[in-house]
Amino acid sequence: MSRHVAIVGVGQTHHARRRTDVSQAGLVREAVDRALADAALSIDEIDSIVVASGPVLFAAVNQPEKWVVDAVGARCKPVVRVTSGGGTGLAGALAGYYQIAGGQAERVLVVAYDKLSEGALQYSISTLYDPFWGREFAVGIMGFSAAYWRARMDVLGHTEEAAAMVAVKNRRNAISNPYAHVKQEVTVEQVMQSKPLAWPIKLLDVPPISDGAAAVVLSCEKLAARSTSRPAWIRGMGYFCEADNAASRSMLVSEPLAIAARRVYRSAGITNPRRQFDVVEVQEPYTCFELSYYESLGLCAPGEAAALIKSGATLPDGDIPVNPSGGCAGANPIGAAGLIRLIEAAAQVMGKAAGIQIPNARLALAQSGGGWANLRGVAVVSA
Amino acid sequence: MTGGRVAVLSSAQTELRPAWSGAQHIDLISAVVGAVFKGTGLTLDDVDFIIDSGSDVLDGRSISNCGFLGAMGAHHKEESRVEEDGLWAATYGTAKIAAGGASVGLIIAYSKPSESDVGAFYRSQCEPFYQRPVGFDHDAASGLQAQRYLAQHRLRPDDLAQLVAARWSDAAARGRVSVAAAPTAAQVLASPNAAAPLTRLMLARPVDGAVAVLLGDAEVARRAARTPVWITGTGHAMDTHAFAARQAGTLQACEAAARAAIARAGWRSVRPSLVEVSASSAVTELMVLEAAGLAAPGNALRLCDRDSPVAVNRSGGALPADPIMATGLVRLAEAARQLSHPGDYGLPASQATALAHGAGGVGMQSHCVMTLEV
Repeated sequence: MSRHVAIVGVGQTHHARRRTDVSQAGLVREAVDRALADAALSIDEIDSIVVASGPVLFAAVNQPEKWVVDAVGARCKPVVRVTSGGGTGLAGALAGYYQIAGGQAERVLVVAYDKLSEGALQYSISTLYDPFWGREFAVGIMGFSAAYWRARMDVLGHTEEAAAMVAVKNRRNAISNPYAHVKQEVTVEQVMQSKPLAWPIKLLDVPPISDGAAAVVLSCEKLAARSTSRPAWIRGMGYFCEADNAASRSMLVSEPLAIAARRVYRSAGITNPRRQFDVVEVQEPYTCFELSYYESLGLCAPGEAAALIKSGATLPDGDIPVNPSGGCAGANPIGAAGLIRLIEAAAQVMGKAAGIQIPNARLALAQSGGGWANLRGVAVVSA
Repeated sequence: MTGGRVAVLSSAQTELRPAWSGAQHIDLISAVVGAVFKGTGLTLDDVDFIIDSGSDVLDGRSISNCGFLGAMGAHHKEESRVEEDGLWAATYGTAKIAAGGASVGLIIAYSKPSESDVGAFYRSQCEPFYQRPVGFDHDAASGLQAQRYLAQHRLRPDDLAQLVAARWSDAAARGRVSVAAAPTAAQVLASPNAAAPLTRLMLARPVDGAVAVLLGDAEVARRAARTPVWITGTGHAMDTHAFAARQAGTLQACEAAARAAIARAGWRSVRPSLVEVSASSAVTELMVLEAAGLAAPGNALRLCDRDSPVAVNRSGGALPADPIMATGLVRLAEAARQLSHPGDYGLPASQATALAHGAGGVGMQSHCVMTLEV
């Protein structure tokens, strides 16, 4: 890439099940104020703004960037909205990254949010499917995800117990994350005995539904030092897809995620992800997905995810901590979740992750995705 | 512009029709993706990434790009959705290639407003607490803009009718827009009142259609394009959401977008050979031309004369054909074609520079401008 890009400021709201005290615009403002303060900048020093939010049906305002522009203070600046289902936060950061790398801007503010308390979530997701043949059986996102997990149980050994260990780990980690709103320790037994929603997915395999926003300030190399002496450099970022009806779609290993990882690892010089990364943040809509991501991201070979979680290697004191923030289990404002993963990864290498800091973290991986598990992105950031 | 040079290699477009009732979204998209490689020697395999524009609300489904990835040829490629007019998607693609992150990008935009409720598409963009309850919408904004502009410059609706008739006649002549019978100026004035002082025919007509534009870096352009059209400047800006707080009589965001694009292109004066602009109404078409610096306030009607030094909207522009979310990308495709094939548009061979414009939002809150050169 011709120009290096750094994350020089991050901010997120204290996420909640329902924020009745602010509108969508107010929620966005909170995250923007925090990111700008963190970058020691005012909005006047930002050239361009990327807004990312989940499908507009989630919160029932069409083209909401045109509403929140005033809360951002971006009148007559470039503002564009990127949307890509649940992974939209990372897709938005990618757009901002290229604005700087391609010379269209020196500093870009990326803000991602969802206010899920204001819409009908699973109904909105159901309209994702083809109106003629897809909507009868693939209601919401859970039935579809359960079917594929079931297949992975047989072929890859992603057992219910292994997924329950993901729930135990992430929910415990969330307790130390000041921005998470679900803070309750659970045991493997409790997860196993929780109510089946779409078996094998059970209540405690499922993240909360949240209101929340997140923002990052991206900067060109020349101006990065104005904000911080310790930025998070973006070593690579990509966002790949898989076409819906592809006959060859396996879903055992997420192919678009594997492709994204391969491409980004190449540009970032990653040859042994398990050994090289100090910390990983993944966007796990259900616990079973975290197991799948271990394999797609190359943290272990296909079929070894259950052993990896069981070994404790992905705990905060393990050799490859995954989701020390608690991931989506602690807070899940979907449109923001991908950007929150990037923020948590960046905060680790910037040394500002406070209570959830992994000691000496210098190289971090963030993963995000959306759609019907067919849009997948990764980012690599370093100190 | 910083970074590598980026060129428009080719484009493809379906006919723009009031309703493509016999075709689904994927049919329209496949048609342009299949046709865009013609004459370039490139195939889908050469495409590094896809950026697309469309609207969940118009399409009636969430994350609607998901349903169209196969038709877009995006399988296992990098893909992003810009939920704004397609000219913003092209701006994103331009940055990506300029950064050196890719060499060939496919930009796609499509629209099927015939299957949707265009009024609701715009009303649902309005502020939920104060604007929606009073019934404020896109047409009302166009009417208010027109009242102000006409009063300010002592013009009458009659002055707009000739412009509208010329646009429809151009659209009919070029064959890319379905026009049953181009209206005369008298018919424009006689069409039903839509948003006083504007008649229905003075507002942009929503149409169905799809457009694809292939972008490439300098290396690819040398091999794949007979006449590469270089994207030399890009700019975009968004005005305040509060319509009442925008500066009446001008489009400040359009001014900011044009200023940025022209500065990046390094143009000392704004004298492109041709322009293709989007507009919600006959009046905002004039306001865009003025905001872009092509005419002094109140004088843009003169640019619409046949002897104007700048060829404006030879394709017919957005008034006869507004494929919402794709309109600006159609302008880019048209402007690039007019630069590379001026004879087809009755233009002299000396065409060197162009300006393409897209817009979005109620009362054209957002604007995007691109400068092109051959």
